[in-house]
This record gives sequence, structure tokens and C-alpha cells, in this order.
Amino acid sequence: MTAPAEIVLDRRDDSVVARLSGEVDMSNASYVRDQLLASMPNEAIALVLDISGTRYLDSAAIEVLFEVSRRLGRRRQELRLVMPGDSPLRRVIELTEVHTAAPVYGSLEDAIG
Amino acid sequence: MRDRASQQAALAGLGRQALSGTAFETLLKEAAAVAARELEANQVAVLERTRDGQGMLARAGYGLPDGVLGGVLPPDPSRLARDLSAASSIAAEVGPRFGVIEAHSGERDHFTLADAEFLEGVAAVLGAAGERAGHEDLVRDSEAQFRELADTTPALMWMTDAEGDVTFVNQGWLRFTGGTETAGVTFAASAHPDDREATIRLWTEAMSRREEFRCEYRLRHAASGGYRWVLELGTPRYSGGEFVGYVGTATDIHERRTMEEALRASETIWRELADTAPAMMWTTDTDGLITFVNQGWLRFTGTTFQEEMGESWALGVHPEDAEPMLTSWEEALADCIEWEGEYRLKHHTGEYRWIHDRGVPRIVGDRFVGYVGTAIDIHERKTMEARLLEVYQREHRIAETLQRSLLPERLPPIEGVALAARYLPGARGAAIGGDWYDVLERPDGRVALVVGDVAGHGLRAAASMGQLRNAFRAYGMVEASPAEVVARINRLVMSGVEQVMATVLYLVLDRESGEVAWSAAGHPPPLVIAPDGARFLEGGRSVPIGAADPAVFREATAILPPGSSLLLYTDGLVERRDTPLQDRLTELAEAAAEARGELGEMCEHVLAAVLGQADPGDDVALLAVRPLPVVDTEISLTLPAEPGSLAQLRRRLARFLHATGATELEQYEITLTICEAAGNAIEHAYGPGDATYEVDVRFEGGELTAVVRDSGSWRDKRGEHRGRGLSIIEELMDDVAVERADGGTLVRMRRRVGEDRAA
Repeated sequence: MTAPAEIVLDRRDDSVVARLSGEVDMSNASYVRDQLLASMPNEAIALVLDISGTRYLDSAAIEVLFEVSRRLGRRRQELRLVMPGDSPLRRVIELTEVHTAAPVYGSLEDAIG
Repeated sequence: MRDRASQQAALAGLGRQALSGTAFETLLKEAAAVAARELEANQVAVLERTRDGQGMLARAGYGLPDGVLGGVLPPDPSRLARDLSAASSIAAEVGPRFGVIEAHSGERDHFTLADAEFLEGVAAVLGAAGERAGHEDLVRDSEAQFRELADTTPALMWMTDAEGDVTFVNQGWLRFTGGTETAGVTFAASAHPDDREATIRLWTEAMSRREEFRCEYRLRHAASGGYRWVLELGTPRYSGGEFVGYVGTATDIHERRTMEEALRASETIWRELADTAPAMMWTTDTDGLITFVNQGWLRFTGTTFQEEMGESWALGVHPEDAEPMLTSWEEALADCIEWEGEYRLKHHTGEYRWIHDRGVPRIVGDRFVGYVGTAIDIHERKTMEARLLEVYQREHRIAETLQRSLLPERLPPIEGVALAARYLPGARGAAIGGDWYDVLERPDGRVALVVGDVAGHGLRAAASMGQLRNAFRAYGMVEASPAEVVARINRLVMSGVEQVMATVLYLVLDRESGEVAWSAAGHPPPLVIAPDGARFLEGGRSVPIGAADPAVFREATAILPPGSSLLLYTDGLVERRDTPLQDRLTELAEAAAEARGELGEMCEHVLAAVLGQADPGDDVALLAVRPLPVVDTEISLTLPAEPGSLAQLRRRLARFLHATGATELEQYEITLTICEAAGNAIEHAYGPGDATYEVDVRFEGGELTAVVRDSGSWRDKRGEHRGRGLSIIEELMDDVAVERADGGTLVRMRRRVGEDRAA
């Protein structure tokens, strides 16, 4: 069995908003990566990944964030993260320096604007 | 000013409209307009009292300021008048409960007595119409509720209107008869031609007296292309004291009926034989010695006349029957009274056949001269009875054994929940039902509970129950969503050869959060017994399994309040012919709310309170579960070295960490580090077969210690990713030690919980 995760996609202007809920670990990280990469049409400029509703991310998931950012970068597209200031995930995101690959915003509006 | 005649004519017009069934809303508007005209009022308002009695809802009006209609006003009738600076006002009560109608005028300086009477008249018309409208809504609601229930119930059900015309039959009925019309069904269309007249007569009689209707007849059966015996029961239904029709059910009693008929047919033959055929006859003298047997007797025994004479009584009688038969004969002879007995007598073919033998004393004048007797062959009837009994008993025995062996003897001990179950077999002979319950622990750490009821009784139902129970175990392990589990089993059942129908409640419980998700396929709702009372979990309702394909199976979720128990049951607990289901459910909730103590006692209390002293008519299965507060200070797990085990590990840790009082952040970080170590163990596990890793977590004196041990060896870091995992562990734990040995790798981690840590 794999960890339960769900991605809901939404188009906002030039950005694709992906709301990631559930849990991501090594059992479903590659699935999440493929879904995110497949969600980006060529004309979009940014993938806004909202992890406000994500319950669990492990190092395999962090690796996915780096990889998605890298691959979007090659296409001149940007990965942005949305995570509220009080998220339990915050420390791990900082620790692993995800912000060097994807800017982190406190709200969806900030990330899009 | 309008005169009295005009007012009376207006009132009569309004009354006619009310009687002709004009919609209540329209009538209210019309009444306001009529009152304004006839009273020369500037404003008229029809106000309905709100349920809490704290205000008045403006239902209709004439000349009202904008925004008043549909709004709630304080219960003070003069409010509107102030807006108008009215010179005079008048009001009347509409119905006993509804509200008031009021009129205000800015020009007239007073209303007359006739005006008051007129307004009272308008109010009376509206009151009566309002009562009727409310009553009709009530009937409509209860009928809709019945239809919903009926369509998710496997039984055959129908409903008529007050004239006795069928207005509704449920899906079960349509499936059985192969019909397509849900209304207008009659006995003439669906009953066996030979049964129609009698059935219609019984129905007409019951209808005319509004009595309960009860009839056994043969109903068209689409699947077999023939007819099957059903028992049909109809109950008059009333709404607000008024007869509104019948509601009824039909039950398949074909097997029982055909058995009974076979028995009856053989009895008829026996009676015909006794009446017409030359019986076996004999006579004795005063000492009871045989003096004569007739040809019929000799044809039966194949003996000669001489052999039968004298003390030949025990001759040819089955050894097991000889002793009791002779004893009773000698007792009768001693008193010269009538004697009869049934025993096995040797037939000329060599087999023993049952005969019924009867002798009466012969009196000539005043003198006893001996006995004359007749005997008849009752072998067919006798063996039929014995066979029938045997069939019943055997089937009952097998079904009971099967069912007992299929139900879990003891519920499996599952960490973190208390469980109790009860099973009561129904009181009817061989009619073992197909009820079952089961509990299993899912790989994601949630607990799956199932209670089901296979339609029908006896061996087949018990066997189907076993198959369904296993199917639920299998799909319950792999599918997380209750609706998907039920849908898959429905597909499985529908693809099978045998027709199986079952109602099932499948529920998954998260022990940590108390979150439940369930799907009720034609099954009554689960009951939550919370500290502040009992209530049913509504929603997630669908058709029974085996009813349709494709079918939509719904699922619903809820959170159990802390300290709650959950009660799952089969409809044997709540279904009773003489009481509406809704009332029985209410009784169940009330009984459960009073129940105290541990789960077993709770089950007993509920059974005693709901069923009373009487045996249940149908089988009853009851399953109770209660999530327990965590008290562990230690967990120790051995898990398969595969990524899927991580989710399971997280569930166990969540429960454990929650109990330590760690903050949400601490819980996440500790879970993450332990799972990162476990992830390493999984990545590096090697060797054929089932590799495993072990996790031990201990919480003592505010400090958490975790050890993750595997049987592989950690190779060098590959890329950034692995490095990241280890750096997460090191950053988030106070102390980390990695020990590599021949047998494998061991990671030991420590972290203080509940206080500020140095970064």
C-alpha cells in the first residue's frame, strides 16, 4: 500500500495552482512528481504548490521538490511553495534549504501576485 | 364603505378557493387582498408565529412596506400600524397555532363589529387550510421516507392509497416479478391464476374493515419463469388519525410451502386408503388370540392364514417395536378397551413397513367376545414425516455449524480498541439466518468493522455469508475507501452464478483521531453512543449488495467524540412487523444511551431493552467498538522492509506520540526522523524473501528514545537525497548514533519532549 496523497489542480492567470493534501513519502513520491510535472502546460510561467493542507513530507518528498524545481527551471518555469508560517513542516523545509530552489510564500495570493 | 353582503360574498369566495385545493401560499395572498378591499385597509398582513414563539413571520400581505414580506417581526401587532401612523387597526387569530391576520387603516377612524366578524371569518378559512396543508406535508414526508427505506431493503414491499390502488412497489418487488411499473400493480396481474380469486377476496375483505391483510399465494417469479409461494402482509397506515392506505411486504416461503404440500398430499392418500381400499383386518377371541386375518392382511405379510392364527401377535413385528406394542395391547385387553398403535410390520417383500393398527372390543349382547381390528399401511406418510424432520434437523444442524464456524469465535485482540459482539440465532426452526460480523486491522493502522445480513435463511444463506465475509476480509485489506470495498464486492457478487443479496454496513475507524468512514448498503445506520447521548450516523446509504450492477455506493465520514462507543447491528434487532422502523430505531438509541459499563454489558443491556423477553424473530448480530485512550510508554514493532510499511508506522507513532503530550510540531518531527531511519532500513534491506526491520520507541522521564534496526548494511550515500535524510535525523534529534555490525545497521535516537530545545 502507498501513502494517501491527492493533488487538486487549478489555473490562475499564468500560474497553475496545485493543492497537495495527504502524505508524501518514498512510497508515492515519484507518483506525486509525475503528476506535478504533467500538470504544467508550456505557456504557464509558474507552478504554485500549496502545501498548507499537506500532513506529511519526508526527505523523498523534499527531493521531489528539488527535482520539480530543476526541471521546470530548464523550461523557464518557476516552482513556488505556499506554506503558512505556523506549519509544522516549516522547520524541515528550512533545514533542507528548499527555499533556495523554490521561493516560499505565506499565502496563495502572495504566491500568485 | 363596503356592506355586510359584499363581505359575506367575499368570504364565501375565499372558502370555495380553500376547498378546491388552492395552494396555501396563493390562498394567503388572496386573503390579504380580499381583506384589504373589504375593510378598506391600507395594509393587511398575515403573520405566522415562528417556532420559538419569539417573532412573527410575514407570510403574505397587502400594501406592506418593502422588505417586510418574508421577514420576522417582533410579536407585537402594532408595529406595522406605527409605520403607517394608522388611525385604526384590527386583528384576528388564524388557526389555533398559526398566527394572526391584521389590518390597518390610515383613513378610517374605527372598524365596525361587522368588520371584526368578517376578519374572524377570513382567519377561520386560513386556519383550516393551514391545518390541511401541514397535514399533507406530513403525509408526503413520511411517504418519501418510506420509499427511500423500501428501496434499500431487500424485502418485497408495496404501498396503496386509501382506495386500495397500489401507488408504489419497491425495487425488490420489481426484481422478483420482473415488472417495470412501480404503481398500479394488482393481484390479478401478478398472482397465479388459481390463487387470484381467493387473494382478491381476502384483500377486499381486509380493505373494507381496514384490518391487517394476510395471505399466502403464488407470485410470478421472473428469474425462474414460474411462480413462487409468498406470504403477504399488509398493514393499514394512518396519518393524523386518517386512513391513508396500506403498506405491505411479501416474503418468499416457497420451500416451506412445497414441503408442507408434499406431506399433506401423502396424508390425503392415507385417508382415501382407509375409506375405500380393502383394509387389513383381524379378529381375536376373549383371550386375545388371533382367530381371523383377511386377504388384505395376508397379501401384505405374504404369510399363510394358519401361520397367523393364535399367539401370532409378535410375528413379523419389528424387534424394536414388539415390546411396547405388546405391552399396550395387553393393557387394553385386560380392561377390554379400544386399542391402537403404530408399528413396523414385515412386508412380503422383506422390508418393514409402518402400519397403523386399531382394535375395538366386540360385544354381543352384554358379552365381550373378542376384538375386531383393522390395520392400514402408513409407511409413506410415516417415512415422509421422518424424512422431513430429518431434512429440517440436518439442514438446521449444518447451517448452525457452518455459521458458528464462520463467525469469529473470539474477536481478535486489536490494540487500542475494546470490542464486543453478540449473535442471537432467530427462534424459527431450521431458519438459520445469514448474519455476520467481523473485525480486521488494516495495513494503514485503521480498524475495519463489518456487519452484514444475507437475504434468506438456511444453508445457502450461511454459505453465502461465509463467502461474503471472506470477500470483505480480502478487499478490506487492499481498499482504503469503504464505498470502493462495497462496490468491488457488489461487482464480485453480481458476476457470480448464484443470486445473493445482502445488506452490509462496512466502517473504518481511525483509532487516533476517532474519524470513521462508512458505507451502508441497504443496512440500518450505525449508532454512536457518546457521553452526552446516542445518535445515528446518517448518510453513506446505498442499495444492498447484489441488487444492481452498476450501482452507486456512497460513503460518509464523521468524527467520534472522545469516550464514544459505536454500535453496529443487523436489522433483526430493530425490525418488527407491528412497529414502524423509525420507532424501533428510536427505542434502540434510547436503550443504548442508558447503557453503562464495559462493552459486553452494554451489548447485553441493549439486547434486553430492545428485544425484551421474547426470542428474536430473526437473527441478530451486534458488534460494539470503543477506541481506548493510550497508556503505553513503549512500542515495539517488526515491519516488512517495503515502502508501504511507512504509512503503518506513522499511524502507530501518531497514536503513541499523541499520548505523550508532544506538540503537533514535535509529533511531526519525531515521526519524520523515525520514518527517515526506517526509510534507510527499507532502502538497504537485502536478501531474498521477507526482509523486515524493527522499531522500538520508548518514552520515559520526558525523553523519547527510538531505535531502528535492520538486517542490511548502509552503503555510501547516493546523491543529495540520502544525505538529506540523515541530516534531517541529525538536526531534529538531540542525539543520534549509527552502529554498523555484521548483522545489520542500528540507529539510536534521543529527543526531549515538551520543552524548548537548543537549535
